Amino acid sequence: MGEKIGVYVCHCGSNIAGVVDVAGVAKWAEENLPNVRVARDYKFMCSSLGQEMIEKDIKDLGLTRVVVAACSPHLHEATFRNACKRAGLNPYLFEMVSIREQVSWVTKDKAIATEKAKALIAGGVKRVVYHQPLEPLFVDINPNVLVVGGGIAGIQAALEIADQGSHVYLVEREPSIGGHMAQFDKTFPTLDCAACILTPKMFTAGNHPNITLLTWSEVEKVDGFIGNFTVQIRQKARKVTAEKCTGCGVCEEKCPKKVIDTVFEAGMGTRKAIYTPFPQAVPKYPVIDVENCIYYQRGTCKACEKFCPTGAIDFDQKDEMMTVQVGNVILATGYELFDARRIPQYGYGRLANVVTNLEFERLSNTAGPTNGKIVLRDGVTAPQTVGIIHCVGSRDIKYNVDCSAICCMQSLKFAHLVKEKTGAKVYNFYIDIRTPGKTYDEFYRRILDEGVHFVRGKVAEVTDAPRFPGEEGKLIIQVEDTLAGRQLRVPVDMVVLSAAMQPRVDSKQVGQKFGISCSANGWFIERHPKLDPVATMTEGIFIAGVCQGPKDIPATVSQGAAAAARVLGLIGRKQVTLEPVRASINADQCSGCRICNNLCPFNAITFIEDRAVSDINPALCQGCGTCVSACPAGAITGSHFTNQQIMAQIEGVLLNFGNGHEPAEKLEQVPA
Amino acid sequence: MTIPTITNPSFNETFYASLQTPPTGERVRTCLQCGMCSGVCPFGYVMDFPPGRMIAALRSEIFDRVMKSDTVWMCVACYACTEVCPSGIPLTEKLMARAKEELILSGAVPAELQLALENSQRYGNVLGQSPRKRADWTKGIQATVPVFGKEKKSAEVLWYVGDYASYHPRVQTTSRAFAQVLNALGVDFAILGSDESGDGDSQRLAGERGLFEVLAAKNAQAFRKYKFGEIITTDPHAFNAIKNVYPTLGISFPVRHYTQFLAERLEQLKPLLKQPVNGKITFHDPCYLGRANNIYDEPRALLQAIPGAELVEMSHSGKTSLCCGGGGGGMWLEGFQWEKAHTRTSEWRVREAIASGATTLAVACPYEPPRFEDAVKTVREASGMEVRDVIELLVESMEQ
Repeated sequence: MGEKIGVYVCHCGSNIAGVVDVAGVAKWAEENLPNVRVARDYKFMCSSLGQEMIEKDIKDLGLTRVVVAACSPHLHEATFRNACKRAGLNPYLFEMVSIREQVSWVTKDKAIATEKAKALIAGGVKRVVYHQPLEPLFVDINPNVLVVGGGIAGIQAALEIADQGSHVYLVEREPSIGGHMAQFDKTFPTLDCAACILTPKMFTAGNHPNITLLTWSEVEKVDGFIGNFTVQIRQKARKVTAEKCTGCGVCEEKCPKKVIDTVFEAGMGTRKAIYTPFPQAVPKYPVIDVENCIYYQRGTCKACEKFCPTGAIDFDQKDEMMTVQVGNVILATGYELFDARRIPQYGYGRLANVVTNLEFERLSNTAGPTNGKIVLRDGVTAPQTVGIIHCVGSRDIKYNVDCSAICCMQSLKFAHLVKEKTGAKVYNFYIDIRTPGKTYDEFYRRILDEGVHFVRGKVAEVTDAPRFPGEEGKLIIQVEDTLAGRQLRVPVDMVVLSAAMQPRVDSKQVGQKFGISCSANGWFIERHPKLDPVATMTEGIFIAGVCQGPKDIPATVSQGAAAAARVLGLIGRKQVTLEPVRASINADQCSGCRICNNLCPFNAITFIEDRAVSDINPALCQGCGTCVSACPAGAITGSHFTNQQIMAQIEGVLLNFGNGHEPAEKLEQVPA
Repeated sequence: MTIPTITNPSFNETFYASLQTPPTGERVRTCLQCGMCSGVCPFGYVMDFPPGRMIAALRSEIFDRVMKSDTVWMCVACYACTEVCPSGIPLTEKLMARAKEELILSGAVPAELQLALENSQRYGNVLGQSPRKRADWTKGIQATVPVFGKEKKSAEVLWYVGDYASYHPRVQTTSRAFAQVLNALGVDFAILGSDESGDGDSQRLAGERGLFEVLAAKNAQAFRKYKFGEIITTDPHAFNAIKNVYPTLGISFPVRHYTQFLAERLEQLKPLLKQPVNGKITFHDPCYLGRANNIYDEPRALLQAIPGAELVEMSHSGKTSLCCGGGGGGMWLEGFQWEKAHTRTSEWRVREAIASGATTLAVACPYEPPRFEDAVKTVREASGMEVRDVIELLVESMEQ
């Protein structure tokens, strides 16, 4: 075909060169592969010198195609495309071959790795010949933003965006925004009360002209792509007309039905069947809990309606669906608490005075069910000895292998609160104390100084079975004191379990709804763990806060703000460039069977009735290829992934098989 | 006092390496030193080196000191440490059994354990009885107990009886009861009689891997002589050996514990259970049924089928069950362990049974009736507590 191809093999320091014979591969490519005009190896192809080398070759040698064998296209495809563009070559006449992630990092044997690198490069060289010059697509960005989750991460993100002037739809599943932070008592390390610092932000979010607050609501469906998402939101029936309600609270007062509040009060307190979860709730309008409301069970009562001074109760209110158009989405869906019942050794659920961290927060909170008195389940007795157990359901391959990040600081805070409020003797049982935040170690020293007992050992069990005198009627904590090298039995009155943060049970489904994925342990996956922590692999979908992984409030707030900054950056550009990798239908070949119409996950294909053929809207098409492979007539082509390109690539990869070039039994050892 | 020095690094190195066999042995390298294993160990407070400290010693290359302590013999292989380990290290199977193996190799074995192991080797049973008398418990009983080779060449069920159930007078009662239940259900079964040898599992976990393999090979020879559908046993230790360890020696036969077998036939069994058994019953989960093999529901389902039975739970139950003290060689270290601890876990267990409000302590392992009945005698407030195997309770309910 007369193309002139330049092949560039990157050392990536020793990342690739330590395993693959890069100079040998380059030499081999130049001598053996068709159309290769020049092949070079270089220490770091992504460096400016490396890029300049490519640019110079394009100009001096008249290269018409470029292949770079280096890391994954995720990292540097854009870099090299730009280099081609600067030298006047259409960036899509470039092909990137991954010989780091796919070869050197996963192959130990140097000979096998070198052969595999050659095979992949041969595939790239064969393929790039068939590349066609493509021009990028531009789409406008709708400046509206959807934020899912009204915890501190979502509130922060919404406020940042709204303050800048864009409109935010803030969707929250519960009746009020505030999230877990609203449940907490004090916050570490400064011990300022959570509500005092959170409620002003909640109020601002609730009254911001640029924020549409949608509580008691859930996202049902998401269509579209970056810049142009269509979102369907279900507003669950509150049974209270917001426009009429003044939030006076008479309905709650008069409601005769008490319900144990397993959400906000973590089971420690009660609410009514019509309720706002807490006094500073935003919005102030209550909701009727239909499952527990006497009227919905027996058909009579309506006490709330009788006493409501503004006639705001509406028993006939139905769920409402609303559709909004947004350009970007921020997911800030938070976490769930690990179910401590899963560790039977700790007796949670069986032993009354074993409580979780969330239950303790409610106990200690002055707005909580005991008005902030730390007492046993009997509601009156103050504990004289309290054991706080770290790492409950975290750092354990059976539950969550990772550290839950906040439990050490939280447990130190609990120790302080117990000592301050009850004067009880407090034990902290830990594996390692992890206090890496700003001034966190200062806090640790403060708690040490306060005389809290620290025992290094993961608690083996909490039992009510006494074995020695003095243990009767107590909870006995059995643990190896790994520093003293002896087994201890510590009788206490109350045990607090620092249970781990866990992904929401429905995180996978939520991820699917928004087209993003979860890691094996269920947290949403960021685009890059270090360099792009709030973006995802799906353009226009961002994540913030604990839904991305366990973190404390400062880190959560930072991510909320960071996600907002990313979104604002996109809004500021007004337009985004889309990859021109799109499918198109050859109308002459299309039989009009419509198989592709329903398969398209982006609803990009329409059927043109009068011509009886299907047609693809290139702005909606995401280039996934589903229709291409499904078309029985072979009428659909995916640009940059044409059959010709793919077949040529396969042919190249298989080039040396059967030539006696490498022993077959050796290749079988290549890890899959 | 001298600064501790590395005295025998090569021994340390070989021992550490011997633990790290796949698929799970290499996890020992990921120990967090959290101490949960040592904390949960029933005798952790007596041991100089409970599991966690042993791994610490390996890491600081002073494992020869562990070998100078005899408290490794306090390990009753109850799987409590393995159950809780957050790194999933096979502590019971690998670390503890290997440490005991090294002690045996160096000759540092308590005499009573030595005797039991010798009995196993010489007679094929740990009690030192004549192998010819293995089926003597079947004599003079109403139930029919066919023996392979004599009455039958093939049967649906091969009942593997085991050492204690064959020879121990208290446990023979359980065997007879099981024979009665099998007869009542019309099960086509047979036992191996004198062809049977001890299963060897506790010997293995007491460090005698070689003896275990010899016993396994003898049993395999016996199994292969006859045609049968599956093996059923009343002994969780035998069940564990045949299910999990024999296959690694190329001896693969389907096996179930009797509680699984009977729970499957619950509908057939229920109409036979006519007599109410009064009083509260608590079930003691045997280590090798529960933690080692995750069987918790079947024995409880059987107990609940008995008219009048009210099941209550002890503080430690299910996964947290407390060992009777008989596993991993504990059966044969009574004197040694008493010397060290001056208490017995079976006594703690009986106290828990009393605290639960139960009048009957139900068990499902042949080690347990003798151990718990001894404990009932020594714990003053326990008088009147009945210790019954689940099968015995079923038979009591079946009797007219």
